[in-house]
Amino acid sequence: MKIDLEQNEDIYVLPDFRKIQLEAFHRFINQGIMEELDNFPKIEDTDQEFEFQLFGEKYYLLEPSVKEGDSLYESIITNSCKLYVPARLTQRKKGKVKEQTVFIGNIPLMSSQGTFVINGIARVIINQMLRSPGIYYKSEKDPDSGEITTYTATIISNWGERLQLELDANNRIWFRIDKKHKVSILLLLLAMGLNEEKILDTVHYPEVMSDIIREAKDEENIEWKENAVSELYEQIFGTTDEEDVESYDIFEELKKEFFEPKFELGRIGRFNINKKLNLNVPKDEIFLLPKDVLAAIDYSIKLRIGVGTFDDVDHLKNKRIRSVADFLQNRFKLALERLGDLVHRRINRLTRRKRVPTIGSLVTSDPLLKTFKEFFGSYPLSQFLDQTNPLTQVIHKRRFSSLGPGGLTKRIASIKARDIHPSIYGRICPIETSEGMNAGLISSMAIYASIDHWGFLQSTLHKEYDEVLFEEQNQDMADVSAEEYFRIATEACLAVSPEEDENKEIFTVAQLQQEFLTTSWDRIKLRIISPLQYFSVGVCPIPSFEHNDANRALMGSNMQRQAVPLFEPERCIVGTGLEGQAASDSGSVVIAEQGGKVDYVDGKEITLLVNGGGTINTKLITYQRSNNNTCMHQKPRVNLGEYLKEGQILADGAATEGGEPASGKNILVAYMPWEGYNFEDAVLINECLIYENVFTSIHIEKYEVEARITLNGPEILTREIPHLDDYFLRHLDENGLVLPGSWVETGDVIVGKLTPRDPEESLKIPEGNLLQAIFGIDITATRETCLKVPPGGKGQVIDVRSVYPEDDNQYRNFIYVYILQKREIKVGDKVAGRHGNKGIISKILPREDMPYLQDGTPIEMILSPLGVPSRMNVGQIFECLLGLAGGFLKRHYRVIPFDERYEREASRKLVFSELNKAGEQTTNPWLFELDNPGKSLLIDGRTGEIFQQPITIGKAYMLKLIHQVDDKIHARSSGPYSLVTQQPLKGRSRMGGQRVGEMEVWALEGFGASYILQEMLTIKSDHIQARQKIINNIVAGEPVDKPETTPESFRLLARELRCLALNLDHAVVKKDLIIDYKEL
Amino acid sequence: MNDLDLNLVPPTAGSAYWRCVESKVESERLFYSRFILSPLKVGQANTIGLVMRRALLGEIKGTCITCAKFENITHEYSTMDGIQESVHDILINSKEIVLKSKSSEAQKAFISIVGPRRVTAQDIELPTSVEVIDPMQHIATITKKVKLNIELKIEKDSGYRRQNIVEYKDGNFTVDAVFTPIRSVNYSIHCFESHDKSIMKEMLLYEIWSNGSITPEEAIYEASRSSINLFLPFLQAEKEKEDFKGEDIHESNALHPSVSIVVDQMAKKVTFQHIFIEQLELSPKAYNFLKKINVHTISDLLDYSQDDLMKMKNFGKKSVEQILEALQKRFGMRLQ
Repeated sequence: MKIDLEQNEDIYVLPDFRKIQLEAFHRFINQGIMEELDNFPKIEDTDQEFEFQLFGEKYYLLEPSVKEGDSLYESIITNSCKLYVPARLTQRKKGKVKEQTVFIGNIPLMSSQGTFVINGIARVIINQMLRSPGIYYKSEKDPDSGEITTYTATIISNWGERLQLELDANNRIWFRIDKKHKVSILLLLLAMGLNEEKILDTVHYPEVMSDIIREAKDEENIEWKENAVSELYEQIFGTTDEEDVESYDIFEELKKEFFEPKFELGRIGRFNINKKLNLNVPKDEIFLLPKDVLAAIDYSIKLRIGVGTFDDVDHLKNKRIRSVADFLQNRFKLALERLGDLVHRRINRLTRRKRVPTIGSLVTSDPLLKTFKEFFGSYPLSQFLDQTNPLTQVIHKRRFSSLGPGGLTKRIASIKARDIHPSIYGRICPIETSEGMNAGLISSMAIYASIDHWGFLQSTLHKEYDEVLFEEQNQDMADVSAEEYFRIATEACLAVSPEEDENKEIFTVAQLQQEFLTTSWDRIKLRIISPLQYFSVGVCPIPSFEHNDANRALMGSNMQRQAVPLFEPERCIVGTGLEGQAASDSGSVVIAEQGGKVDYVDGKEITLLVNGGGTINTKLITYQRSNNNTCMHQKPRVNLGEYLKEGQILADGAATEGGEPASGKNILVAYMPWEGYNFEDAVLINECLIYENVFTSIHIEKYEVEARITLNGPEILTREIPHLDDYFLRHLDENGLVLPGSWVETGDVIVGKLTPRDPEESLKIPEGNLLQAIFGIDITATRETCLKVPPGGKGQVIDVRSVYPEDDNQYRNFIYVYILQKREIKVGDKVAGRHGNKGIISKILPREDMPYLQDGTPIEMILSPLGVPSRMNVGQIFECLLGLAGGFLKRHYRVIPFDERYEREASRKLVFSELNKAGEQTTNPWLFELDNPGKSLLIDGRTGEIFQQPITIGKAYMLKLIHQVDDKIHARSSGPYSLVTQQPLKGRSRMGGQRVGEMEVWALEGFGASYILQEMLTIKSDHIQARQKIINNIVAGEPVDKPETTPESFRLLARELRCLALNLDHAVVKKDLIIDYKEL
Repeated sequence: MNDLDLNLVPPTAGSAYWRCVESKVESERLFYSRFILSPLKVGQANTIGLVMRRALLGEIKGTCITCAKFENITHEYSTMDGIQESVHDILINSKEIVLKSKSSEAQKAFISIVGPRRVTAQDIELPTSVEVIDPMQHIATITKKVKLNIELKIEKDSGYRRQNIVEYKDGNFTVDAVFTPIRSVNYSIHCFESHDKSIMKEMLLYEIWSNGSITPEEAIYEASRSSINLFLPFLQAEKEKEDFKGEDIHESNALHPSVSIVVDQMAKKVTFQHIFIEQLELSPKAYNFLKKINVHTISDLLDYSQDDLMKMKNFGKKSVEQILEALQKRFGMRLQ
């Protein structure tokens, strides 16, 4: 693995989109591991006879045996490398020294795509956005008078609790830990080891402090330090049970347990506190000191007087990014601590037994293995890589989350925390975030942004004058705090052309701190480098999105991530020019690492004869499943004997064409109503989209079954399954595995498996006894636990794999079956454009019925015109008209958004002039008509008549989204019931039913739908016997008889009626007119 | 069927003439022609135009590869050694190949090529009745010295047919087939005044793009023939009315000289296939007997001659007479 971290210093090249992940991992491998190993303590046994020591600086990592490409294929492998560290064991008395290099565990490796492969599954670690450790001041106003009453300082620690200092209206100072009840500050100060004189000496405003001390003294006597400590302990932890213990011990214990782990500021915290409180505590002092607290108190008092500033918590300078490096380093630290404990325990145990420990017997790889497994498996920020299409992969790696351990919580996060803050411009995309619960908490990194070594976000800006602007040598990066003091021009350089009159002042729009203002060009020191720099990779591919409402642009960028790779990818006619980078950084495209000649090429591999000699062999991915069940497939794009340059593409991946992402198709659309079939955003399509495979996609589903040893013996894989129709077993080979290439449908067995039964249980079955008596065979000793194709899972078996996991001693056999489905577009599928214009297919029309253009071409898709005005995504109209021109001229356009800043109506002018050109060059004058520019008369395919109004037509880039009917359609006639409530289960995957809830029952009652109501409340509800019987009755064709007893749900109805003062009785009148009341 | 000509189509169109205005071959696989039909009465142009457009787009038959068989391949989503395309890509490429066939039967073709070289449509060994339109259409690229063997099935049909997956068997892969050879059709209607400047006339301008396997002229011919076929039942209905008057078929035929006897007979045959012997209202004995010898429709019955029926065992003369009578009475037919 090679991580290239060269920076191009002269030109503004887009940074590699994976850089944020790769750089962080690079930091962990090169720095983090060393730092933590250095901190590994010397371990001694209780007699101090043996000493164990690691030499962290000499560690080395072994290159993994499995190649990067293979690890995904072998379904169970984790891509990792082995960590070896030299260790020394000294025996003091004998003066013996043993040295050995030990294997202490596996470090999971990041692939060149910025992902981890854990158990054959690609995972990605999301960066977390947290409040940076440090001190923050805010004020609270009295709701009635509007006056500021309290000044609060919050000290956020890197690891541990948060401490709040409060200066209230009566000039008394309190502190609280983790939002618990407040305690006088004096107690904390005394507990931290200060005394009255010291406090009064250090503090700038001794009057206030002495007041506090006097008041405190009046109330209770806490002069002594020892007292203070136990008092504090009591106040915080409740009680002090051990009064007898010497106070000194308690103090030490408190210090150890309380101040250190709970108030570790870290280096960043120390840096921030020094800066805010103007202290010069050395950088390495990473814990909270009494000095800090005193300075913090001073600052609060200053604020009351009117000196100093409050802090904005939502400003990006107060937030830092915790990246893979930090997570892994933390975990590594934890693992080493566990290892230390383990070594400690072992060394003691061995010496107690009077045995001589060896290095090998002390160290195991378990702690590391377990810790990392735990981390990748269950940490909320270690996520399953979203692989729907290449763009999705890139975007997922560049995501920031404010959630997760140490972060915010979905439910309590305030609106302010989710909102756009002016400081995020150029760093975090203001558009892309998820909808719903996580809005604003999950965000995406802007394309030119980067992260500095403190973990703060930087933006790249162009320096207008060669002045020394920043203390640090970094020439183009502007960090968040530095940017505050300068005006940043946001308009293009076109505004300042040199020919302009010298004396005339040129004005431009600029950003200063958190405002936008117009200022003269002379005062500009910094300038943005691209209009796209504010936005993320997901938003940038949307053409002319400056014409869209932000909400729709958000949906557009989110839906691009859901686009399914299609059969024959086609790149968009209208784009923004960022596509190339997105595709190549997604890793889906294969790129020549070096220039050379193509020596060999076929569907599986490409061999390149490198210029300097030697060959590079690249294996291609062929029809593999992605995490989202879409298909990954690479097609060679070079010919035998062709000469290539470095960086040229060798093969296109899924959903890329010519190195550009191509997850959709250019479709001829018309914005018109058609017989009401586009009501509520529904979409009509032409039949040719089906038979020309325009929206056909491949989906590969993985089915998994495990054969293991049970208590009653091993499970058997076989094709001899008793009591099962041969028809369902027709695809199995003699080992009970399905044959690759066979077409399987719902209910077919794909892995035949028999599980041994409990022998006692099997004896109870009558026919088993009979068979045993007659033939002596034990037929019911097993239970069939076959893997069957679930509903909707029909397709072609493309691979069957049998895997034996290595790390387990137990005999286990995993069988994976891959079933491929080819899905044409059908009614109910979701399609969308890139502007948030989404819809469901409502009808498929034959091409002769479709409205057609004046040259006879039938429209391919009809969209609702009502979908545009209220949604305010006008970008789609510009795109589709320019696409029309491009379609006729056979030309692709790459237009950077925000062209309006050069000229008024620039987009419109471009579109119309191109349409006009297309009309002239291809002799289709109807393409651009002055009376109705951009519209054209269409003819109805059914009647041959011209539609009354001219209609907007064009070529739009439409995507087929992963939300498809095949995955969602579901019906149930009968099925499983929940064990406790006896109600049908929920959800499609469990063959669930539709709930007839309270309100549905009311509706049925309201309409007097008595038969349905009766059915729902009696035989279809929790009446177990009746519902079993009804199936038999239906099969036998007998009339359905009514149940004799009442189920619970009917009783509920009866009770409800009683609430309305209507009694319901069930009475049977017997002979002699005796009335028999039955209970309801 | 050659006597069926275009001048028969709209008897009312009368003097309308038909002419090809422009014809060009834009590429091997794109033919274009423009036609004029004029003069027509107001409104007729749209009637003809619409019917023809829909018939051209929907009814014309074409030839396509519908199935391919590879050796030693378990499923189409696999790659072969020394071949740049996957099996699936080859299937997609072969779907695009434009063929022209004289016979409507399913036929077989083969590809058997040793690499390294490009395989194009001209490398297909075709039966004599089939020809390739564009010999340069790409199929696959062989990059090694390996042999590519493919057996293809060629069929002629109209519309499109989706993969029938159930037919999948050892290396037999069905291909989605798009038979229709017409790419696009357009028509426009232009009005003009007749010579005496009193009556408005219409002119129908027709544009057809085809995929090369059929010329636009041929397409127009076929489309009009298939649309006439669609109208046959109406002509039949007219005839049945005449029959009830007890007139002879030949006479009623004479009323429509435009419909040739051949077409008429064909149509009749089709109709008789759908009339069951129940309609003859025979006695149970005769009816049961006919059912027993697998005579279900009138057309089945017509396969037998009077003598054949007489010779049958257990079949009385009376019954035969009854049948003949019923046939004569209801359909005006006799057995041979």
